[in-house]
Amino acid sequence: MTSVDELQGLAAELAAELRPHALAVDAGLLPDIPALDVIRDIATPPEFRATDLPKCAETYTETCLARTAANIELSRGDAGVLNLCRAPSLAGLAVDALGSPSQQEAFYRVLADERPWTFFGMTEPDCGSDATAMKTRLDKDFRLHGGKKYVANAARGGIGVVFARTGPTPLSIRAVVVRNPSPGYTGRALTMFGLRGAALGEMTFDGVELDREALLGAHLPASQRGLWGAARTFNVMRLQIGAQALGVALAISDYVHTLRPQWKTLMTSRLEAARELLLDCAHDVDNNPDDRRAPSIGKLHATNLAVETARWAESALEPGALLDHPLLEKWCRDVHAFEFMDGTSTVQRLTIGTGHDDN
Amino acid sequence: MRHTIAECERAGHDDGLSVGLALTGAALDNAPGRVAAVPSAAVPLGTVALRTEQGVSFVRTEPFAGPESTAVAARLAGVRLGLTRRLARRAVEHLSARTVGGEPTIGKQLVQSALADAHVATEAARRALSVAGDCPDAVRDVHERLTTVDWELAKLLGASGFVDGGAMFDVHLSRLTASCWVGAS
Repeated sequence: MTSVDELQGLAAELAAELRPHALAVDAGLLPDIPALDVIRDIATPPEFRATDLPKCAETYTETCLARTAANIELSRGDAGVLNLCRAPSLAGLAVDALGSPSQQEAFYRVLADERPWTFFGMTEPDCGSDATAMKTRLDKDFRLHGGKKYVANAARGGIGVVFARTGPTPLSIRAVVVRNPSPGYTGRALTMFGLRGAALGEMTFDGVELDREALLGAHLPASQRGLWGAARTFNVMRLQIGAQALGVALAISDYVHTLRPQWKTLMTSRLEAARELLLDCAHDVDNNPDDRRAPSIGKLHATNLAVETARWAESALEPGALLDHPLLEKWCRDVHAFEFMDGTSTVQRLTIGTGHDDN
Repeated sequence: MRHTIAECERAGHDDGLSVGLALTGAALDNAPGRVAAVPSAAVPLGTVALRTEQGVSFVRTEPFAGPESTAVAARLAGVRLGLTRRLARRAVEHLSARTVGGEPTIGKQLVQSALADAHVATEAARRALSVAGDCPDAVRDVHERLTTVDWELAKLLGASGFVDGGAMFDVHLSRLTASCWVGAS
């Protein structure tokens, strides 16, 4: 058994502890779930972990393959609850990619001491996926102006990474570490249709004063300091989102098969094939971190298949069954969230279509 | 009095789901499953609903298998056609007000393709109801295709459709309502 297999098994055990809280989290409650503390530690680089974990857990932050495999199983428990986890998440990946050793130390020290939720401010209300059109700016006095929307933990997060413009060119889009609360920072939670544990919200910056040490990437070459330096981060996260979509689809399939044990359906094969595809894409990213196509292929397929699985579940059961099975109804909402995370299906199609690699 | 599918489509488009549902003949005693979706105004006093949203109540009931439930499902498909057309208009308004790379989003090929597909699908669904509105399989197929079209249109609204009462809330309610009137395949 490989360490990824072991991690997958560990994730499946933790997933079973997430499931009982799924409907409570969907209803807006914040239950105390010890398994989330373990998941948080697994998702933290080994040198910053608070507890001893099995050796296999180290692979989570080391390879995209392990992260993807684990996220499929964790989300099979419940992706909404998983997103309640106070993990480094995308902000952590950005600090790993762009931060100096001292900046990484400072970021993870806050996470260890305060256990905050983290946020990653990229999307703006008027720009959507077009990050190069962002208007949020960092002025010469290191004050942040503007706003972000559809950001996980925007209101409740304690620390995160925000991208802002320091000049007119794409290379002048830089990342800064921001704390909440800070004077001039306002966060508001949005009412989500599904995957409510993610707590999407909007944030506004009215001259938020930052320390110069908050600017990430100063030690890197100009071409790697900002948006482009974070590109590898998006590749990893894109597959993580795809993995979560597939995990929810598997949960739906499991649930339907419990109600209809005699069914041996094509959907089961399609979901297992999707797992293979995602893991192959993750393997590709580990071998070539700049490969943008593989994560897009994995995410596009998994998110589409998850929505299709939800429709299949509805057609497989008696009329009105979703009202009789609230967990199934919740998952049938949750699956739609992944479309809007880390690039819509249109963005993925454009990325895939502009590549010309036959393999 | 039973309303035509065209009247139901008009009501769905102009007045929304609950008003349209009131024209379909949906009642507590003619649902094919154990849950009926009916206008909240039609729920007798003292009856406990499983869920009530935007004037639509989901109420536990005894299953009734008969041609009447297919007729209700067909008229409900008409209502949903109207809702889908309304959603398409909302998507066009949203996309017309946005730009990508300095160009109007509405002019992008992938966007136009999605809007065209949605338009064709709704036109085809209307004809399917007109030629086979009494066939349970055909009506179920129309509902499934409308659910697909609604999602394709909702995607065009981006994350804005997913939060704060955005399009997905309406799309899902429309789908849940339909699921109470359409039998398993």
